[in-house]
Formats: sequence, structure tokens, C-alpha cells
Amino acid sequence: MAKEIVITNNIRKLRFFANEMTQQELAEKAGASRQTIIAIEAGKYSPSLEMAFRIAEAFGVKIDEVFGYEIKEES
Amino acid sequence: MSYQEKRTIVNIATGLLVLAIYFIDTLGRYRSGAIALDDLESWAVAMLIFIGIYIAISIIIQIIFHILLAISLAAQKKIQDKTTCEEEIEKSIDLEFTDDEMVKLIELKSMRVGFSFAWIGFIVALVSLALNYPPAVMLNILIVSLFGGSVFSDITQLYYYRKGVR
Repeated sequence: MAKEIVITNNIRKLRFFANEMTQQELAEKAGASRQTIIAIEAGKYSPSLEMAFRIAEAFGVKIDEVFGYEIKEES
Repeated sequence: MSYQEKRTIVNIATGLLVLAIYFIDTLGRYRSGAIALDDLESWAVAMLIFIGIYIAISIIIQIIFHILLAISLAAQKKIQDKTTCEEEIEKSIDLEFTDDEMVKLIELKSMRVGFSFAWIGFIVALVSLALNYPPAVMLNILIVSLFGGSVFSDITQLYYYRKGVR
């Protein structure tokens, strides 16, 4: 049975703790479009490593505090 | 709705509009007898004119779309925060128009769909020739598949913007 890696993120929580940072503000800090931040936060897009580091940098935390992963069994 | 989605919708509308104008015009001329199925020169001229019209209309519509969008973004920003300076407004407009990695990935994936559509159209056009249809039919299938490929590529982009891409 094949395994699928699902990228998870804590962006919503981190935005809340960053004084309710807006998606627009995060996009500006990470150098991405708001559309991309919305997609990443909703789990609809897995960012490149570079983008992931830039998002972590925007929050001032390590990358593993922003992104994680879950392994799912594919049926 | 994001800038990219709006831009894609405008592209789809432009492609469909020009294709509709092309068919209304050429079918009208064909029915009136001004252009015959074996008159390849006239068909080629008509297609070249419409490709030119498509390019001109696309450029004009894109310019108008970008101007209107920039005005609406600036107004929105001003309504949200009346103390916003022009520099901040410009920055937010630039950010809205940014094509980042996700946008490029979506464009690449949708382009593949567009090319596939155009290739299928090309094969259908060849089949039409092999089945002894007039060459004008083949030319029209080709132009439909090229415009259709572009429209399908945009529809795929819209799908990926909505559903996400992995």
C-alpha cells in the first residue's frame, strides 16, 4: 500500500499570535501573492522549500514550527 | 477573487468573444457565397485578419483591465485606511500583480492541457483531410483547436486556482 505525505501548517495559529497578522501582511513579508498564502494556509498548495523558509522568517520562527507532515495510507 | 483569477476570466472571455466574432463573420460570408470552401486564399486572409484582431483586442482589454483593477485596489485601500500613503498603495498593487511560484506552476500545468487540446485538434484536422473534407474545414478545425487550447488552458488555470495545486 502506497503512502502519501500530506503537508500540514500552523499559519493560521501563527498569524493569530502575531497580533492577528493579515494574509496580505504575511504575503508582503514572505514576498508571495495573497492568493498563494491563502492556498498554503488552506492546505491546497505545498510551497517550495524556499517559500516555506520565507514564511517561517516572516513569523520569526523555525520552519518546523510552521510546517509539519502527516503520512496517510493510500487505498 | 484574486487578480490571477480575474485575469484568467478576462482571457477566457476575450478568446470566446473573438472566436464568436470569427464564426459569425466567416459563416455569414460563406452563406452569402462571398467565400467558397475551396477558396483557401480567402480563408487564410480571414484567419490572418482575425489573429490580428485577437492580438489587438487582447492588448486593449488587458490594458483596460489592469487600469480598472489598479484604480479599484487603490480605492479599496484608501477606504480601509484613510491615512495610507501613495507608496503603500503602489506596494499593495505591485504585490497583487505578483506572479509567484504557485502562479507559475499553475500556468505550466494548464499550458500542458492547452497544448494537448491543440494537438488533438491538429490530429482531427488531419483526419478531416484524410476523409476527403475540403481543406477549409481542416483550416477551421486548426484555428478552433488553437483558440480552444488557449481557452481550455485558462479554464484549467481557473480550476487550479479554486481547487489548489500540489
